[in-house]
Order: sequence, then structure tokens, then C-alpha cells
Amino acid sequence: MSTSSRTLTNSVHPPGKTCLAFSMDGKYAYTGGSDSIVRIFHVEKGKDQEPDAAAEAEDNITALTAANECWLSASEDSYIRTYTAGKNTFNGLAGSVKGATINCIAVDPKGKRIAVASDELMVKISDLDNISNVQIVDGFKRGVRKVTWDPSGSLLTVSCGDGTIAVWDVSEEQPTRLEVIDGIIPAVTDSESEEFMHDCSAVWHPTGQRFYAASRTHDIVAISRATWTKSETLSDPSVTGSHTAIALSANGAFLASACGSEVLIWSTQKRRVLSRLQSTPSAVTIQLAFSPSQNLLAWIDTQGGFTRVSNAIATEFGDPIKDSAAANVQGQVISRKKTPTPWEDDADVDLDAVGGDDGLFGGEDWIIDDIGGGMQDKPERQDKGDGYVKEMVSITKAQSAFQPGSTPMSVLKRRYLAYNMIGVIEVTDQDTHHIVNVEFHDRSARKSYHFTDHFKHDLASSGERGAVFACPPEQDNPAQVIYKPYGVWSTQGEWTYILPKGQRVLGVAAGGNKAMKSLRENSDSGGDLQGHGNVVVATSAGDLTFISGSGVEQIILGLEGEFVTMAAAEEYVIVVHRPGATTIDGSQGLLATVISYEDFEVLQEKPLPIPKGHILKWIGITDQGIPAIYDSAGYLHIMINFRRPNRATWARLLDTNAWERKQGKDESYWPVGCSNETFHCLILKGRQEYPGFPRPLIQELPIRMPFRIKDTTEEELLRIHINLARDALPDDEVSAPDLDRRELELDKITIRLIQAACKTDKQPRALELAKRLNLPQSLAAAHKVAAFYKLHGLREKFEALIEWREETMTPAEEARERRRALGDEDAPMAMPKPFQDFNAPPRVDRPGLARPTGIVEHSEFSSSNAGLRPIREKATGLSMSRSASPEGKRKRDEDDHMLNGTESDVKRRALGDAPSPATNSSTIIYRPLLILPNSFYQTPSLERTLRQQIPTLSHESPI
Amino acid sequence: MSLPQSLRVSVTPLELELIACEQLVEIVPLISMEKTAFISGAYGPLRPPSKSKVPLWMAINLKLKKKCHIVPPEWLTVDFLQERLSRETSQPQFSKLPFRFAEISKVVLDVASDDVPNADKIRSLLKDLREARQAKSREGLQQIDHSELSLPNLCSMEINEIRPVFVQSMGLLSQLVREPENRAGDV
Repeated sequence: MSTSSRTLTNSVHPPGKTCLAFSMDGKYAYTGGSDSIVRIFHVEKGKDQEPDAAAEAEDNITALTAANECWLSASEDSYIRTYTAGKNTFNGLAGSVKGATINCIAVDPKGKRIAVASDELMVKISDLDNISNVQIVDGFKRGVRKVTWDPSGSLLTVSCGDGTIAVWDVSEEQPTRLEVIDGIIPAVTDSESEEFMHDCSAVWHPTGQRFYAASRTHDIVAISRATWTKSETLSDPSVTGSHTAIALSANGAFLASACGSEVLIWSTQKRRVLSRLQSTPSAVTIQLAFSPSQNLLAWIDTQGGFTRVSNAIATEFGDPIKDSAAANVQGQVISRKKTPTPWEDDADVDLDAVGGDDGLFGGEDWIIDDIGGGMQDKPERQDKGDGYVKEMVSITKAQSAFQPGSTPMSVLKRRYLAYNMIGVIEVTDQDTHHIVNVEFHDRSARKSYHFTDHFKHDLASSGERGAVFACPPEQDNPAQVIYKPYGVWSTQGEWTYILPKGQRVLGVAAGGNKAMKSLRENSDSGGDLQGHGNVVVATSAGDLTFISGSGVEQIILGLEGEFVTMAAAEEYVIVVHRPGATTIDGSQGLLATVISYEDFEVLQEKPLPIPKGHILKWIGITDQGIPAIYDSAGYLHIMINFRRPNRATWARLLDTNAWERKQGKDESYWPVGCSNETFHCLILKGRQEYPGFPRPLIQELPIRMPFRIKDTTEEELLRIHINLARDALPDDEVSAPDLDRRELELDKITIRLIQAACKTDKQPRALELAKRLNLPQSLAAAHKVAAFYKLHGLREKFEALIEWREETMTPAEEARERRRALGDEDAPMAMPKPFQDFNAPPRVDRPGLARPTGIVEHSEFSSSNAGLRPIREKATGLSMSRSASPEGKRKRDEDDHMLNGTESDVKRRALGDAPSPATNSSTIIYRPLLILPNSFYQTPSLERTLRQQIPTLSHESPI
Repeated sequence: MSLPQSLRVSVTPLELELIACEQLVEIVPLISMEKTAFISGAYGPLRPPSKSKVPLWMAINLKLKKKCHIVPPEWLTVDFLQERLSRETSQPQFSKLPFRFAEISKVVLDVASDDVPNADKIRSLLKDLREARQAKSREGLQQIDHSELSLPNLCSMEINEIRPVFVQSMGLLSQLVREPENRAGDV
């Protein structure tokens, strides 16, 4: 037996429902699909064989099975056909189901009877020899998806669309129902859905003592025959999705299950994953089969790909065919040790297994026999020990890492990698490559683009300044991260960051300052001053790598525990990780850490307020730059006070379950973003978990704080945002007038509440509300309200309050004063565009209409202020012509300054005199580099123009 | 309308459309814009992907430049119109619809049919609605008398349609009714 496994994949059918069966001798494999052809593969032959085809069916092949002498196919044309084993010789019909799709056919182990499951609410069992001899098993509420026989051929297990597994005894003439097991397999009622194609059959162990089925909780469970209850569970933390197909090896020692793009090989005795095989990504494996005669595993997927893996079970694990004791006895013994609950039935099983098996070896014997060395024994024992501990405690499944705003690949081979308030990154799978489409909501600011992606990036994040992509390692190619800044036409700005071999990227986030205006205009101003932002990469090496937008590695921080997700804001990144473990009672134990890009200091560390048994669904940044989270319980929280170190708390802003619109509807919300008063989300109908294609419209739903008393909501929300905005102010982010406006708004609401309180004579409440007023004029208004309602006591209290306010300055007022000062300084820079200016027109300064002032006579010693004047005034050289007529009795202040300026430059000589053109022409520029002849300055006007042209020269040199 | 020029005393449908274009609709802008003053008022700011309310004429203008998606009003859905149509056909009175539904739906479907889910179905429903309502207003013509006629929930386009006929014929009727009284007064 060669030890290396060999994988052969053929594309044999068009995409759609496919099916697979091995012949009884294991020499042939039959595959069927939506091309209505059954192909017969020789298992021995390689990939390039030309399989025989049986093309009698007139519609899609929906099920295949094999008996001793023949094989059977069921087609959507409602007929079941029999063929000679291994050949495409058509022998006749074995039955038909009119008007319903046949979902499954199964021949009993003796090869005598065939059970037919269809969308009808019953299962028909007929003899293969005499198809008119029919037994009916009925009483199902939904169409039957799968049907299987137990190894003795007396029991029939029926997996029904309503999520039940029914066990029927069909050994007698009249079938009797033994048990209906509910709650194991998922209920799938829509026969068109992809989930309906998943293999939910109950797979019997060769001993007939239990059967396995893929559960709705993404485990594989074994149901014991003695009690018809769950006797053991096969679970693995790496399993994130449902098992789409399961199969048992011929001796029952190994179980194969398909999950996502992997096929897991489990040991049924150790109940753990032994190895993993890669299946076709993006295709769903819907049927798995072990060869009955050799170490061969085959599967078929929705893309019509048929894969055979020879030596799928590595030798060190054992043999899938040999009816060894390992499969039964040893397994039973261990399971008895492990399973704490059903003692009796395990003992039962044990006895039965021992009785039913011929070649009994001791467990240890078997291992030594097969491998020839006890070396492998030790790790196995350790594993057992591990398994013991884990089995004793039912541990909450840890949430795996995810990227906010991403979805898994849909049936249409499309997915979202990122969906946020900036834009959408969509991926279309084209088998050999991906097409990545990057689109922005604001098309005026950033340009949408798309590119062909040969790396098949599976993580992405779009930030303010650029989009970052990451791909997993594949074969020889290491994992890598690509950052593409926006607004850069060429590939100049983008960079690639390659991880060492064996490391994976768990999450990426891109953050950066909000663009002041269009990013496309960057090049006009000669480069972007604000840079390309920041990129944070979480890797499987347990670190967070900070990389600047230009591709310079900045720091690598260690991250305690497992990384879960992160989001990047303008100046910080919030990372969610699990420092410890999940707790027994269902808590995920997640912690959020806010780390600033500057100095990498931790601003906050705060556990997430997720209810027990729920998981984090989304993390994002609101448009005010505040961290926000949304969990599967339907709560939205924002982190308030996050800018004050160690003062952060999570404020619950929204309880989607309490929404009026949700009442009586089955819908969920997929968050996209959050702003002051609205929650931006996509609404998912029914049990939908992720948004589909084409892209749904973003819905804006109002944020209502989940207060129990209804009238304060609006006010509190505003207050929170004002406080947050106030915190943000040292960074000059929120414009001051905006905040003032909001404070005024808040005061208006408060005054209304005060009025309501006065009306109902609730004076303490009115007083309490009044204390919260921000502006002094609002207090005056409150005073008036009290006066109106003739509440004199309250009025006096308000008066006292006003007095007290006048004396002391509240922190809010201080902050406002500071903001005002800042606002005044910035005012000229924030000039609004025409038509967007809603302020009063600016005051026009008219110096001509200014009040004249009396002339100031300057003496030689009076111009002490000369040094204070701006240099610019000297450069203009205006004063020559003006000073030519100083005898004007009334002069403006301004002109005096001018006069003084030039005079001081002219060595303060002849201050009171009128500088005549003659004196002027005799002035010499004392500058060694440039000496002009006197005649050059013939006229004052010429001189003036020259001086204006060389201003630097003229004011440096004394004239 | 197949009326001679002299009888065309009412405004044309195009003019009605122009009037309807002043109504506010919701859009999902694809460009950002500050709050901007127009003669009819200040609209904006536009901040994608947040929705914004602007007059229909502006929405059309932006849509034609591919700078926004128009969010169809909540009455412009298959469910709503279907329900109104069944009410229209089963009950004698006019069902309640937005006053300018005909104009707005026409404009929205003309300009932004890609933003309206099931646009074709909605078109046929609107046509059915119009026919059902037209039949009713013809019936109303029979009840006409000199003094008053009450047709609640009639929409602008329909009023406009029947206005010339109604005004004239009611004028005539009132003349006919008044005549004998006058004569009696003379005597």
C-alpha cells in the first residue's frame, strides 16, 4: 500500500445537483448530474479515461444506487432505471414516481428491495424482482430528502425535509414507525435551495448499533439504536459551516465529511479529525463515498466535479476496509469511558459489537500489527487524554475571525469582501481567477475600479484613503497583503507586503483621515499632504502589524489571545480579540482594544457587552469616529468617552428587537454604518444571513435608545453626541458653530420638557432639567416658562441658578469659549462657496466713509512706532507721490503710517520737508551688487515701477 | 385629449408634470454636495450613501447625469398598487392615492425605471388603475347636475381631464335650471 494519497479530479457534469455511487465490488463509480447522463468510471483507471455513459434518462439524474448485480438511477423524468453492474446496458424500469422529484433511492443490503424517497409525503419500498409489490411508508409532513437502510435491512431511516429523522421497521408486511428524532438535521423545506442538495442522510455504522448524521449545529452526531438519542458528537473547532455530505468507511472506523472547501476525515473511535483534504473551492461537495473494497474516497460537488482520492486514509491511521476490531471494539471501549450519560446502552453496544465481530483483536494488538512499532502509540494516548477533558466540559464554540462587512461565497459565486459607508468590494469567482470590483458610494470623491485577481484575495477592507486586500497562502505562494491607495491612477502608490511562509493573514483594516475634498484632485496640489493612511494587518503569528499607507512597516505588536476582528478609524484602530477562552456558560470573552496610530498607545481596553450565547456580528466606526458594535442579539452599542483614557463605556443605542417595524416580521439587520441619528443597514428577510446580489439599497433606520420610559429618548441621544463631539474638539475636528447649533437644539428640546414638567406641576423635574441647559439665554427662557405657569418657587430657584451660572463658568462653557476662539481664527479659511453661504452678508469696510481724524504733526523724534510696521508697507514704495503734498490739512491715519515708513527708511532726514523730485533723483541705491546710474530714476513713477518689480531689493537697501 | 382648441381650457399634462416636479422625493446620491440654495428652498447636503430629500426636478436632473438613484415612493410598489387596484375594482368610490400620483409615477418610471423594482409590472398596474378610475369618472358624468358634484380622491390628472367638459356642462345645466326662475321673477 503506497502511503501518499493521490487526487484525481474530473469535471464530469454541468453545475447543478449531482450524485455518486460505488458498485458493490468497488470497481466502478457511477456519477449522475443535470445532463441526464450517468457516467461509469473504472476506479483503477486514471484521470484521462473515457467513461461509459448511460443516456437513457430524459431529465436530470437525481439519485444513484448500486446493488449486487445491477445499478439504478433515478431521473427527474420520474423513472427509475436498472442497468447491469459496471455496464451501461439498460435492463428496464424499476419503478416510477409520477409528478414528484425523486430525491433518493436506496437498495437494502441484501439487494432485494429498493426504497424510493421523493417530494411525495411517503417512501415507497418495492421488490427489485417484482416492482408491483409495494410497501408504503407514509405520514411525513414534508418531502423526504434521504433514505437509508440499516445493515440488517430491517430498519429504514428517513430524513425528512421538516428536519426529522424517522426510523421505520420494514421487516414486517406492515411497516411500523419506531421513532421520530427531531432536532438533529436541519429543516429545509425549499427544494430549490442549495441546502436541500446537502446530504442529510443517516449513515449506519456497519455494526448497526448507531447511525451518524450531520446536525444543524454543524456537528456530526451519532444516534444510538438502543435509545434513539444522541450518544456521541464529533465536533471540531475548525468547522465553521454545516457538513454538506458524510460517509462512513466500509469498516466504520473512519468517517468523511465535507465542510466548506474541505473534506475532513474523522476517526469514529477517537472522535476527532485525523486529516483534511482540499476539495474544489467555491463548489459544495454534496455526496461522499468510500469505496467498499479499497482505500479510496470519492466525492462529487455542485460544480459537477468528481474527485477520487486514493489512499485517502493515511496508513498510520489504519485501514478503512479491514473489518478490524479497531472499528468496533476499541471504539466502543473508549466511547464508554468518555460518554458520561447513557451507561446502559453503551454496555449493550459493547456486548453486541463483540458478539457480532469475528476477528477480534485487542486494541493495542491491532495498532502494533499494522504499524509495526509502538512509537505512534504515545501521541494517541495523549490525544485520548485531551479528548477526555474536552468531552467532560461542554465548551462554548469560539467565534472565528471575520472581516466586518464580508460575506461567504454565495451560490452565484459572488461575495462581498467589504461593505461599509465608503464603498463596496465585490468579488466574482471565475474559477481560474477572481474579478474584484471596488465601488464607492460617493462617486464624486473616489473613482470606482475593478481588476482581475489571480491571487484570490479573501480579505479586504476599504478605508478613507485606500483599500487593502489579503490573500491566503496557496502551495508555494506565501500569504500577502496588497494596499491600493485611492486616487492613484498608476500602480505607483500600491505596495505588496509578503508574509513569511506558514503564516496567514487573519484580518486587515485600512484607516486614515477623511478626505477634505475629492481624492481625484490630489495631483493638482502636487501630492497628497495627508498621506495614504494606515494599514493594520493581523497575522496567524499572533501579532498586529502596523504599516503606513506608503508601505513602511511601523511596528509589530503582540496580540494576546486569538484575533477576532478589527476596524480602523481616522486616528486609531479598534481590535477585538479573545485574551482567554470562551466560558462554559456561553460567553465569548471578547475584549476590544483601541490603539492609536501615533505612538501605538492603548487608548482603551474594554470587554464587549455581548450577551451570553451570542456573537459579535459587526464592528465599525460611526461617522463621528466612534467605535460601534452590533451583535447577534440585535443590540447596537457605541463606545462613549473613548477619548478619555480609561473612561470608556459601551452605551446601548439600539435594540432592534424592540423596533416597531420588526414586530410580527421575520427579518434581521446587516449593519453597514451608523451616524448620529440613523443606523444604516441592509434588511435581510426571513432566515437569510447575508445580503445577496444585486446589491440591496442601504436602509436608514432611526436610532432609538432603548429606554423603557418613552419621552427622553431624543434628548439623551443628542447629549451623548454632544459630549463625544466635545471630547473630540481638542483635535479641531468638529466645527464649533456646528456644536453650538446642536447645543441650542438640545436646549430647545429641554425647554419643551421643562414646559411639560411645569404644566404637570413636577417642579423637581423641571429644576433638574434646567440644570442641564447649556446656554444662558435658555435659562432665561426657562425662567419665563416658570413665570408663565405662575410657579413662583421654581422661578426663584431659576433666578438663583442664573446667578450662580453667571458667577461660575461651567466646563461646557469653558470649552465653548475655547472653541469660539479657535473658530474665529479659522474663520477666513472656512469660507463657504457661493450659494452655499447661509450666513448674513459680511460687513463691507468702506474707508472712504470713515470718520476723518485730525492730522498728527510728526516731529523728528515722534515716530517711535516705526519699527512696528509691517515690512510689506515699506516695499510698496507708495509714499513718494503722497508725501509730495504733505501740506494737506486733513490726512488719514493710514497715510501717516505710510509716510512714516518711508521716512524712517530714508535715514529720518528731512522729516517735515517735502521731498522734491530733485532730491529724489539724487538718491542712490547703496548696494554693491547693483548700482544704477542716477539718470535711471528720472521720474518718481519709473522708480516706483522698478521698486515694485524688485521689492526685496528696495526694502533691504536704504535709499 | 380629443377636444377642439377652444375647449382646451385646462392646463396640459406636461404643465401638470412640471408642477409635480416640485414635490420632494428621496434619492440616494452618488456625489457629495453641500447644502445649496435654490429659489424654492435650500436642499442638501448630499452625503452618499445617506438618503436625501430633494425636489423631483432635481432628482431627475441628477439621475440623468447618473449622479443619484431615485428611491421610489412607498406607494410606487407592486403590493400597494395591487391593493389599490383591487379596491378600485370592487368599491364604487375612488380609492385614496397621492394627489399627483400619475405625474410622479410617469416621471419616475421614465427616468429611473432601473431604480424601481418590477417596473413593468408597476406600469401595467398603473394603466389598469387609470382605466378603472376613468370608467368611474365617466360614470360620474351621468350624475352631473347644476349645483354640485362630489368626487373625493380624484387626482390632479383626472380632474384636469374632466375639467373642460364638466365646467361647460355644469354651466349649461345651471343656466337651464335658473332660466324658469328668472322668468317667474319677471312676471
